[in-house]
Amino acid sequence: MSVISLEHVGYRYPLGHEDAVHDVSFQVEQGQVCALLGANGSGKTTICNLIRGFIPRFYRGEPTGQVQLAGRPVEQYDDAELTETIGYSFQNPFTQMSGVKDNVREEIAYALENLGIEREAMAARVDAMIDLLHLDDIADANPLELSGGQRQRVAIAAVLVTDPPIVVLDEPTSQLDPQSTEDVFNIIALLKRQGKTVILVEHKIDLVARYSDLVILMEDGRVAMSGPARRVLTDPQVLDHGGQLPEVTRFFLERNQKLGLNDPVPLSVEDAIKRYGRKGA
Amino acid sequence: MTGFIDRLYPSSKAAMVLLAIIVGIFTPGYILQYAMFPVFLLLAIMAGNGMRFFKAFLSSVGTVVLVIFLVQVFIVRYPDSAHIWAFIALSPTGLDKSLGITSRIVSSASAIMWYFQVTTPKDMVYAMEQAHLPKKVTFVIMSTIGMVPQVINRSRTIMDAQKSRGIETEGNAWARVKSFVPMLGPLIFSLIQQTEEHALALQSRAFLAPVPKTSLYRLDKHTIDRVIQVICLLLLILFIVWRVWK
Repeated sequence: MSVISLEHVGYRYPLGHEDAVHDVSFQVEQGQVCALLGANGSGKTTICNLIRGFIPRFYRGEPTGQVQLAGRPVEQYDDAELTETIGYSFQNPFTQMSGVKDNVREEIAYALENLGIEREAMAARVDAMIDLLHLDDIADANPLELSGGQRQRVAIAAVLVTDPPIVVLDEPTSQLDPQSTEDVFNIIALLKRQGKTVILVEHKIDLVARYSDLVILMEDGRVAMSGPARRVLTDPQVLDHGGQLPEVTRFFLERNQKLGLNDPVPLSVEDAIKRYGRKGA
Repeated sequence: MTGFIDRLYPSSKAAMVLLAIIVGIFTPGYILQYAMFPVFLLLAIMAGNGMRFFKAFLSSVGTVVLVIFLVQVFIVRYPDSAHIWAFIALSPTGLDKSLGITSRIVSSASAIMWYFQVTTPKDMVYAMEQAHLPKKVTFVIMSTIGMVPQVINRSRTIMDAQKSRGIETEGNAWARVKSFVPMLGPLIFSLIQQTEEHALALQSRAFLAPVPKTSLYRLDKHTIDRVIQVICLLLLILFIVWRVWK
């Protein structure tokens, strides 16, 4: 059974003139990292909102089709269940802080407090998140005085602290430097090893190619291409739908084309080294 | 903040403040009421906030008290007013009234200002949560307090952006007003725009979960807190008995 299932889902925002998403269907299995790709305004965040149940709980309007989490329609989940089932990290780190906590440690604990978790258990989980996200140096700082990148890391910690089986990360590295970006993707790899399901909206295509199992490429609110990352991200048609290909993939596609070869196209640098390192491609 | 005063539970300090306000308002005369200012100043010094308390008191309440005093004594006319010059007259009744009014303002304001100087909003809200106040109420209080510096920062950013486009933002009062008014639009709209995502972020962190909230932060109620609260209650009862039976 799929952990996340969308069947012919469509939605138009109450003041919208056209559908934000239209006839979207895909399934994500447990432990998969599913990348939602596409240009700005292609419907990626709307899909995330539908999966998290913000539509129609927060954004009114009538979605069509069905969104299911672990075989159960998302509208049947209550707020506490949704928080425990799906962790959601938003695009803008500046609006993600609760605004009512004066240090990072308590900011991370905020969801646990709302869920009524006991203090000792809460402290242990917060400490684990501080270690995981390397937040020791800012643990006592005021969240509202942090930089965008620091806030982003705190926001991710605040999401993961509830240990949800599904994690939605909407452009989690948009404010981060290369090292912190790498750290976030290492966490994504860790989540995957822990059997968690990750929905990832991200533009850094080389990293997406390295860490994703499944790719959904959105264009104008519709699914333009979908399937395993290896298949979708080595297909030149991605470029026709406003998507991008990893640098190394583009290099090998052009090489094949120019030299008239039909060699397998690697998805990442590691993949290329594994395939061609010895031959000296 | 450190020390005995800071370690007191917010409700203990609130009990002291409440007692001071009631006693100050309903006790005849003005000596006791004026005497409360040095008492709260001393308590503020004990909490390491003496100078801050004194400055805050002078800059806010001090001015109001002075104006009321002067108006009551020299401007407002009573039957026993003795004319001095133009509209200025001196009245013993006015003096008595002004001492009565200003002393009560001084006692109440000293108590309230002391409370806010020695109690952090975080401690206040924690105590409210422990007293089972609705989560939404405590959230509104804390987020309002937290919002002030954010709004100031945001307005500075907008102001800097305007300055970089050549708009005059400094100079005399009129120049400042002219630059301030156009800033209000972007400021208000950007705050409204952020509200939606902030609400979603809170929702995704179980803000609406129908379970009793717990807290990572801990503030203990000690024996001294119970002693203070009981003493305040007894003093209040004695005061009421004294005022009713006198």
